[in-house]
Order: sequence, then C-alpha cells, then structure tokens
Amino acid sequence: MSKRIVINPLTRISGFMEIDVMVDQNRVVDVKTKGNLFRGFEQMLIGRSPFDAVYFTQRICGICSAAHSMASSLALEDALNIEPMEQGRYLRDIIHCCEFLQNHIRHFYQYTVPDFVKIEQNTLFQSDHNDFRLPKNINDRIAKHYFDSLTFSRLAHEMLAVLGGKAPHNHGVFIGGVTTQATAEKIVHIDSILTKIIRFIDDKMIPDVYDIANFYKDYFHLGGGYGNLLTYGAFNDYKELGTLYVDPLVFTKGTVEAFDENNIQEKIDYAYFKSVNNSNEPSEEVTEPDMDKENAYSWVKAPRYNGLPFEVGPLARLILSGAYENRISAMDRTIARALETKKIAEIMKILIQQVVPDVDVQKKYDLPESAAGRGLIDTTRGGLGHWLKIQDQKISFYQIITPSTWDFSTKDDNGYRGTAEEALMGTYIENPDNPAEIGRILRSFDPCMSCATHVYRPGKQVKTIKVF
Amino acid sequence: MEGQILPPENLTNEAIAERLTTTARKNLETGSIQKKNLIYLELNGCSGNIISLLNGQNPDFEYTLNSMVHLRYSNSLMAAEGEQAIEQLLTAMDEEYILAVEGAVALKNNGLYNIIGSWKGEPLTGLQAAKMLGEKASHILAVGACATHGGVSAAKPNPTQSVGLQEVLPDKSIIKLPGCPVHPDWFLGTLAHLLLYGEPETDNLNRPLMFYSTLIHDRCPRRPFFDRGIFAEKLSDKTCLFKLGCRGPVTRVDCPTRQWNGHVNWPIGANTPCIGCASFGFPDAMAPFISYDTTRVVKDE
Repeated sequence: MSKRIVINPLTRISGFMEIDVMVDQNRVVDVKTKGNLFRGFEQMLIGRSPFDAVYFTQRICGICSAAHSMASSLALEDALNIEPMEQGRYLRDIIHCCEFLQNHIRHFYQYTVPDFVKIEQNTLFQSDHNDFRLPKNINDRIAKHYFDSLTFSRLAHEMLAVLGGKAPHNHGVFIGGVTTQATAEKIVHIDSILTKIIRFIDDKMIPDVYDIANFYKDYFHLGGGYGNLLTYGAFNDYKELGTLYVDPLVFTKGTVEAFDENNIQEKIDYAYFKSVNNSNEPSEEVTEPDMDKENAYSWVKAPRYNGLPFEVGPLARLILSGAYENRISAMDRTIARALETKKIAEIMKILIQQVVPDVDVQKKYDLPESAAGRGLIDTTRGGLGHWLKIQDQKISFYQIITPSTWDFSTKDDNGYRGTAEEALMGTYIENPDNPAEIGRILRSFDPCMSCATHVYRPGKQVKTIKVF
Repeated sequence: MEGQILPPENLTNEAIAERLTTTARKNLETGSIQKKNLIYLELNGCSGNIISLLNGQNPDFEYTLNSMVHLRYSNSLMAAEGEQAIEQLLTAMDEEYILAVEGAVALKNNGLYNIIGSWKGEPLTGLQAAKMLGEKASHILAVGACATHGGVSAAKPNPTQSVGLQEVLPDKSIIKLPGCPVHPDWFLGTLAHLLLYGEPETDNLNRPLMFYSTLIHDRCPRRPFFDRGIFAEKLSDKTCLFKLGCRGPVTRVDCPTRQWNGHVNWPIGANTPCIGCASFGFPDAMAPFISYDTTRVVKDE
C-alpha cells in the first residue's frame, strides 16, 4: 500500500524545506527534497563593489554567515592576486573556528536534541511522534543541557565578536585575513571563553551524544546513502603548522583521492532553471528561472564531482582525515558533529598559540579593471565555493555552491538522486502518519536551506487558499 | 526608604533596558502581569535575527521563554514539524498574541517564492501568513532590516519583489526594529516594554526611541578623530573611518555604547566602517560598504 508523506515545514533547520516522500509497505521508495525560499543573491551581487561581497554574501545565512565572509574573501584574494600573511590566516581561521563551535553546539542541542529528548517544560517542544526512549534521568539531564547550550553558543559568538566586531554578520573577516589586530587582552578573552566551551563539550556534549546513540542504535543503520565523501580541506596547508585537520580529498568506493576543483559541475536537469550559456562549470554557468520545465521538481541545483553526488560536512571530514572509522549513517553524522566540535576547539587552541600581538595585516587594495577568482573552503556544513568575476571594477558574475546544495541536491541526468534523498531511500517508516525517521535523518545532515535554496517551485499560479 | 536621598538614576539606554526587564520579571512573579503569547514568524531572510535573539543575555532565551512569553510558533526552534507545526500556529491565533516577524514579504508570484509551510496539502506563503497573523495580532514587531523595509532580501534588482511588513499591513501599527541582524537587547527590551507598559515611545519611523534615538556618529569613540580631520586610509586603522564609507553619520542606533555579543565589540571597534545596517536604506542606499577612494564626494552624509 503506497502512501505519500509531505513534511512542510521541516522545522529546526535554517531556512525552509519541504520533504515529499513515497512509502510502500512502510518503506521509502521515492524522495524529493525541496527548498521553499528564493532570494537571488547571485543576481543581486551583479554591479556591486567587489569589496562589498564579503559583507553582502554573509546575509545569505544567519547561522553560518562567517562561512560566506571566508569564501568571498578567498575569492577576492584569488582575483586580486593577494597572498594573506600567515598571521592574517591564523586570526581569520580563529574567527571561523568560533563559527564552527557556535553552529555545531546550536545544531546538536537546539535542532537535533528535540528529536530524541522530551523537553517537558514548554509547549514549544510538543512533539508529533512518541518515539522517546531515554530513561528519565538521562532525558532530563540532556533537556537541561539544551538550555545550558544556549550559553555556550552565545559565548562562541562572543569570542567571534572579539575579533570580528559582531555576530551574526561579522565585520572582521576580510581580504588579507582580518581587520583587527590581536592584543594580549583579546587573546586572553578568547582563550578564557574557549576553556569554558571545551569543558562543556567534554563534560556534556560528547556524553550526551553517546547516550542518545546508545538508545537509538537503529540510527547507525539508517540514513547512509551513497557513501561518497568530499572535503575542500579545513584548517590545512599552513606554512609552519602544515595541516591541522584535513586536506582537500574525495572518497569514492573505498578509494581516497586528492580533490581537484576542475571536476565540479553543477547540473540543473531536475531543477527549475534553464541554462543561459549551456555550461555546467561553476565559473561560467549562468541560469535563468524556468518554472514550466518538464520533470523539474525543485530549485536546488545539483552539484556533482566527476558526475557523482557527494556528502560533505563533519562526518566526511572526520573520515577523510582518518579520525573516524568509516561508517556512514544518521547517527554517525550526529556523533561526528560532536566529535568535530572538540576537534575544532583543539585546533583553535593551537592557532591562538601562534598569534603575534599587534600585527596589522590590512592594506589599501586596488581593484583591477577585470579579474576572476574563486574561494573554496570547508565550512561548518562542508565545502563552500564562491566564484566571481570583475568587470569595470564591479562584480560581473557571482556563483555560490553551498554545502547544503551538495547534500540536498536534486536528481541529475544520470539518475543519481541527491545525497540526502538517497539517504532516505529504503528507510522503514514505523508510523507514516507521524514519521520520526525522516526528520531525524535529514537533520543529521544539518540542512541550511537559507544557503541552499534559490527558488521554490511555484508550479501553476495558485488560487487563494480557502482555509485562510 | 521614604525620604531617603537616592543617587541619581542612571539614564543610559542599557540601564533603562535592564530596569525594564527586571521590572517585568518582578511583575510576572507577583502575578500583576500575565505571560503573553508570542508568534515568531520567519519570512524571506536569513533567519539571522532568531540566532541573534538566542544570543540575548539579560534576559536570555530561557528566561524569555519561561518568564516573559509563551512562544507558540518558531520555525527554527519548535519540536513539531509539517502540518502539525502549522496547526499549532493556527491554534495560537485563537488567543491574543504578539506577532514578531523577521524577513521580508516576498510578493513575487503571489508570494510563492517564500513558502513557510503547508496546510491541508496547500502551500502557505509568507505573504498569506504575514497578512493573516498581522491583522489579528495585538502588537506587531518588525524584527531586523528585511522586515522593517525589505533589507537585503529586497536589494537591487529585488528578484523576489520583497517588501517590508508594513507594505502588506498598511493600516496596522508596527514597531520597527531595523538592524542586520537586530541586537537581542533591541528586541527583548522592546518586548519587555510591551509587557509592562504597552508600546514604547517611537520616532516618526516607528522605531523605539530608547534604542534608536541617537546617531552612531554622535556617540562614536572615534568622533575626536573626525573633528580633527584624522581619517583612516585602510581597514584596520584606528582613526575615523568616515572616508572609507562609514555610515555612522546617518545611522540612528546605540551600537557605540551597547556593542554586540556580550557587549564586547562592534564594527567600528573591529576597525571597519559602520555599513548602516540599522538604517532604512540598507543595503542599497548604504553601498558601497567599503571604498578606498577617500577623495570621492560622499553623498547622503
């Protein structure tokens, strides 16, 4: 017996998302992930000052804004032929670490925990399903940590603001590294907070995630997907420190290879776009909305590497860096997020030790008449790429491929589903009327649809909805 | 206590906001005021305002939730999903509520560029939700630049035909809290005032005077450099950032004294210009955010 399950909105994510699933005898037999919001940043950026891209693109996302300031700064450095001083990189990467910490702590406690833990005290946490398995003492402890976690996400943003001015939407990350100089007082301020955050991760976050994993062991067998992993590299390739985390790598069918950016393409076969210039290359591709396109079902495009869909994010990075045994599932993804939080805090400690006070890394920058550049970097949710072109000292082209576009892409012409779609295929849904599995599996990817979505499928012009 | 001479009352914005929330807490504890329902709607934006609100300190989110309001709907935080979530939204409408909206209203294609959920199999657009919830709300807060005037969501060429909340609710009184994002104190202080005394005093653009009354320029710690004509030539300089494009002279808000994220820093403290994110013209009228051409004639200022 077939049944269609539509979840809209999928709450506790960033942005808006609809899931459209077909189940047959409780097994998922077809999946469509759809974004529900169009903003059009790539169009908005045309004609603006290239320098403004650093602050402008952050407004794509309120939870991972610093990620976009990183990628756009790198793209500008590439276009302007600027090699940042190592001190600039350290300070910028410290800001980026702060965002990882803020983001992972928030995602685990505020977005994931309510899927597994009953938080009794407020109607906001009224759940649709009844699959709560934790013993009361563990449940209540983690529910309390939900509220504690707010303090530590906030503190991570406070560290970010010490160098970055404010968060979300920092001002400090820029060409060359950062706009601020480290001082003893700032370094101690950051290090003192970091020490508190590390204690929270060790004493609460990691035990909490393992307790959840222990009572939901079936999730080690759910949400696997293709098993292709990719990273653009994270906290790597420092002149003196080498690689602190992971180099750019891809993993397919048991083989790890070096990442080559030329193998990235972005497809639109099942997305509501038509190509203006028949290119799938991120540095060239220009698309226009085409809402009547046949077989299209979403406006999230489909990035592919060597023609294949890839998973990006904490689990991909941990496995590719050799820090996690090669298991891929919804629960492994969730555990990886907590373990990576610890890893990032340790990297941040090392970076802080390298900082020399009072070094100014900024210069007065001149814009070329024309140039092109790209910035590829692994951010909280995975690989983020910005591609830009400059004409007459203005932005003439801007392309963004976000981590959640990799994970929540549509199908392609080879019949490959998106990574998260594939992860849902075959899942046994215990209660199709109140499915707990779908949301849990999707949230294990930490969807950031503010970043990934370009436009909702409007379909036919809709009549007034009578209910309202 | 009567007849005792007290030290003069501290009249800084920070002190006023703190007094408001402290009084709100006391009155809630004694039962002289009741917790109100709050519906928090995210529309066409980046959801950065809800993240910023979670950074609130005094009050923090837990306190806000437990002692100030019943938060009945939040896409980012609620446990329910799908139509059950929308059902909670509709149920909340049966009682009195304060409506807070972040994000712009996307008008394009009858609102279908921003679907916030579905109900009985039909999409519920941000446009429908804003109108429906706005008409019935006891008070409305437009939270952040996108909600107050379209903000970055309405930046040229405005592909989604986004507008501020007021445009779809022309007859409603809307308290406007511009900023990208909103500072948690601007929102929570305004909320505390609403609970205690009703709507706060606002300027002609409906911004609460307690936060938006003074120009950044007038309280900028780098003002002495401006007055002496000492200007930064690049980001990271410690002098006046006016010639790099600072919008402090046209932006009314209390960042210089309040600062951000535990009150530790702010954009000018990070040696970068104010980009005017709390001005109604943000972003297009505030662009370029950064210019190294210090000889150009700067309009607006």
